[in-house]
Amino acid sequence: MSMDKKIKLKLENISHSFVVNNEVQDAVSDVSIDVYDNEFLVILGPGRCGKSVLLNIIGGLEKPISGNLYLDGEKLQGSDKRISMVFQKLALMPWKTVMGNVEFGPQLAGVDKETRRKTAQKYIDLVGLTGFEKAYPNQLSGGMKQRVGIARAYANNPEILLMDEPFGQLDAQTRYAMEEEIQRIWQTEKRTIIFVTNNIEEAVYLGDRIILLSECPATVKQIYDVNLPRPRDTIHPEFLRIRKEVSENTDLAL
Amino acid sequence: MGTKTTVMSVQEKREYYLKKVYMVLPVISLSLLLLLWINVSKSSAFPSPKDTWDRLIMLFQKPIKGLNIFGHVWASLVRIFIALAFNWTFGIAFGILIGWNKTCKALFTPLFNAFRAVPPLAWIPLITLWLGTGEFPKILIVIFGSIASIVVNTQAGMSNVEKLYLDVGTIFNASASQKLFQIAIPSALDAIFAGIRTSTSAAWMVVLAAEMLGAKSGVGFLITRGMDSIDMPLVLMSMIAIGIVGALLAIITQFAERLLCPWTKKSN
Repeated sequence: MSMDKKIKLKLENISHSFVVNNEVQDAVSDVSIDVYDNEFLVILGPGRCGKSVLLNIIGGLEKPISGNLYLDGEKLQGSDKRISMVFQKLALMPWKTVMGNVEFGPQLAGVDKETRRKTAQKYIDLVGLTGFEKAYPNQLSGGMKQRVGIARAYANNPEILLMDEPFGQLDAQTRYAMEEEIQRIWQTEKRTIIFVTNNIEEAVYLGDRIILLSECPATVKQIYDVNLPRPRDTIHPEFLRIRKEVSENTDLAL
Repeated sequence: MGTKTTVMSVQEKREYYLKKVYMVLPVISLSLLLLLWINVSKSSAFPSPKDTWDRLIMLFQKPIKGLNIFGHVWASLVRIFIALAFNWTFGIAFGILIGWNKTCKALFTPLFNAFRAVPPLAWIPLITLWLGTGEFPKILIVIFGSIASIVVNTQAGMSNVEKLYLDVGTIFNASASQKLFQIAIPSALDAIFAGIRTSTSAAWMVVLAAEMLGAKSGVGFLITRGMDSIDMPLVLMSMIAIGIVGALLAIITQFAERLLCPWTKKSN
């Protein structure tokens, strides 16, 4: 099946390390991944190691020590307009309203006010924040703030959306609701999503494919195809079977 | 009648009364001070509240150097407004420069630290000997006395810009100037406003000191005039005027901050 899918993004032998206390620490080691067009790809990994670094490399926030990235076959250098990001720590500008935050990307790109307002409004509506356009982030709940983050990433009209544990800071109930929401949004506006998480259930619930990373340094340990219909039933025997399989194969985080 | 509603109403009543109490408390402290003042003035040469009030009225009937109290307050205010206009322009620009650019920081920080260690009062003799006692030297003293707080606050705000906000800029392909003007400076606005508030109160204090040395108008001049003519009510009245105007300036700058940075006030 996956043979005839179009490769959107190609990661080729990516390695990255940091110097911590005068010691070189490998974070990512020789990772190669093909990301298909419009797929929901989940990168699952234990602990703190590698996952976010990998995402930051794709987003152009960090430059890998070695390895190359190709978007539509063309080599990537630094950040690219076609790639957008939803941050774990939200990173909403507190001095901007919901509208101001969502239209920020197009505004930086020089899109005229009327057009960018229209785009922003479309995604504010899509994430269910209609009526909150003039609110400031500190007036919103955690789930609503992350909706703003998602709308902001979409409003820049990217081809690839990176999501770095976007629901990691939400309470369990809001988290379930947001997992359903992101699935609905993705089905309405198909984009390639690369979603990083350390939560196995979340990975099986959301991913078309799951890339399981090993503990430090991160390498690709296994790739799982999840061929379950959406929205997925978390107590379906097949769901539980995959969940168990992934779980048993996951390295223990320290 | 549910017990719950009764409990609620008791609590609400409590809150209602507490609110009233909090409104009355400042009045109580003020009245106590007034009482103390009356008592002290009865048993010594200290002017009474009535003397002070009468002196104020007399200043309206017989202005000093052609100005009543409002005229003198205005003269002082004009000086600090000119100085602050300069400070808010160049002080903020300089703070942004040394807060954002590492080279400029290394270049200017030692010099600036030495400069701001010299108190405004120490500048007065030098500036007076050099430039005399005109209007410009006074404004210069106010500038020197209040520029440090705006620079320091702006610099702190600019060097503590959340890296995450700048990452958002990188993801959206922002240029270096977009990162500065659309991310870093807006995110430092509340720090800059803290600088605006402290520089305003500093300027108000320094202008009075500057006016006490050879001015022909201003509240500081009034105090010196009172001292020279052994007019204690005039001195006291001027001091009260200083206090009231200072408090008003603080309220106005706070109000301006709320107006210009609406996101800093929390709704819940």
